[in-house]
Amino acid sequence: MAKVIERREMSTVEQAYLVEAAKGLYGTAKHLVRGFFKHETLPTVSYPEQIIPIPQDYRAHHRLMKRPDGEARCVACYMCSTACPARCITIEAEEAKDGHIEKKAKKFEIDLLVCVFCGLCEEACPVDAIRMDTKKVSVVADSRDQFVRNMENLLDWNPADYPADDTQSQKAPGGRLNDQARTEWAGGTGH
Amino acid sequence: MNALEWAFTVGKLLLVFVPLTMIPIMIFMERKGASLIQDRVGPNRVSVPLFGGLRLFGFVHNITDGIKLFTKELIVPKFAHKWYYIVAPMIPFAIAVMTPALLPWCAPIVFEWGGSVYRISGQIFDADAGILVVFALSGLSVYGTVLGAWSSNSKYALLGGLRASAMMISYEVSMGLSLLGMFLLVGSFSLSDIVAWQGAHYWGILIQPIPFVIYVISLIAETGRAPFDVAEGEPEILGHHLEYSGMRFGLFYMGEYAHIVINALLIATMFLGGYDVPVLGTEGVKEHLGLVIAAILAVFGASALGLMLLVRRWAAIYAKTNSTDKVAHAREYGVMGVIFGVIGAGLLAAALMSALFIQTSTTMVGGEAIYPLWTSLLTAFVQIGVLFAKALIFCWVWVWVRWSLPRFRYDQVMSLGWKILLNVALVNLLVTAIVAKLLQGGR
Repeated sequence: MAKVIERREMSTVEQAYLVEAAKGLYGTAKHLVRGFFKHETLPTVSYPEQIIPIPQDYRAHHRLMKRPDGEARCVACYMCSTACPARCITIEAEEAKDGHIEKKAKKFEIDLLVCVFCGLCEEACPVDAIRMDTKKVSVVADSRDQFVRNMENLLDWNPADYPADDTQSQKAPGGRLNDQARTEWAGGTGH
Repeated sequence: MNALEWAFTVGKLLLVFVPLTMIPIMIFMERKGASLIQDRVGPNRVSVPLFGGLRLFGFVHNITDGIKLFTKELIVPKFAHKWYYIVAPMIPFAIAVMTPALLPWCAPIVFEWGGSVYRISGQIFDADAGILVVFALSGLSVYGTVLGAWSSNSKYALLGGLRASAMMISYEVSMGLSLLGMFLLVGSFSLSDIVAWQGAHYWGILIQPIPFVIYVISLIAETGRAPFDVAEGEPEILGHHLEYSGMRFGLFYMGEYAHIVINALLIATMFLGGYDVPVLGTEGVKEHLGLVIAAILAVFGASALGLMLLVRRWAAIYAKTNSTDKVAHAREYGVMGVIFGVIGAGLLAAALMSALFIQTSTTMVGGEAIYPLWTSLLTAFVQIGVLFAKALIFCWVWVWVRWSLPRFRYDQVMSLGWKILLNVALVNLLVTAIVAKLLQGGR
């Protein structure tokens, strides 16, 4: 049921306006005095110098996860590009030679100008190969072409930037768990 | 006239540029006041390269704005009437330079030099019609608006110009009528007479409080700023300067700010006793000149010391944040604290010196006690400063009202002007006339 708002008539004093205007002036004066003497209470954050921490599950620039040997974990199943509502992911597949998987991505491109950062690719991926947890929110480039991120860009990340309890990131080359993961990788039979 | 009087005449001409020098202060006040009223920080990025970068509370943004406006291309639209289009922005600006010539800036400077007594008027041009000339000039400023609007040959600009002219006519009426009570009591149109009368009797705001309110409202409406900015009307028509660019647009804005300064000076002159120093009066200031100057310097010195404490407080708070530029800010705040501390201490010391060592004495010339030149000059400066202080309060009122009150609808503006302010002013005139007749017995 809709809420009925009671509209009351203005009193004589309110209609005379001057008193109400004075009240309004008093209200703004309070803000002014507070802002002048208690500058720190203003909500403004001076951005490039002070950066508000971005939460871990914020959907930002994508990255491709890596196997212990540094290859992309992607198996070129096209699930992400199928799930993508903006159709910004372009994948070309080729045969994987190393015996662990059948297919791998030859080309994996994300057009950031088309991407809507919905996170559906992350959810669709069966092997946790694509993630959006880089916290990179400011992407700057000179031309449209540079906003199309290729495989090399997407694989360019450092395990040191990710939390130590994020095992999937730590199993990449340079990560804390990489040695252990490589042993399993060499002795194991794929997934 | 001899050389000394010529020197005074030429020196007084400098007062014409006072509203122009107030424009940067006005803009600074507007930007910082608006931001703080809206809980923002306001301009704070550009710095002057002194002591490794001083931002001066955002004052430097004025300079960058000026550079930007001066270097922008001046576009004359193909469909505009070129000559009127170029002339229009100059009109409000020219009037802003002309009006100060009529204001009494200080009491007549009376001094003794070389055995003879000089009396220099505190006005550049003491017209008998005084305030009427001021009205005529401020009424002319709407010509700039309308001419700019019409010559732009743009329908939105034209609508803005029409609204501006309609509003100007409406509010000129109540503005003039609200002052009639003062003229009745004073018995003169001359601004110097009005100020002298207020100094001798009461300030206008005490005996004519209702016309004071009407006058302030009318003047705010006359400058065409919020809550009366229907002529500009950013949301719907953008107003008379729609087709202007670069410094021609800037001239409109500078004219508007100069208009505000002049109106604030006029309010101070008409209702707050002008240059009159409360309690003391001109002779009192001359007698206690040392103490008066000491008091003024002490106020400024204490403000500077207060600013020093404020800056130190900001520095301490900023040091606790996780900013990347903490070192630079700590240095800047340190330098500013030192500057304010030195200025404050210097002013307080000067105040002490002034209180102890400035003694005034008179010489009797023709049975009249006359002060020497330096005393009269310093008194004049004190009075100009007092007039400024009063005007600055109203400059702030303009900014304050603009960022507090929502805009009136066009028909509300008209009905306020014609149906309320005009009638209240007329009734006030009647009541003032009756009371003045009964109490003063007619003059």
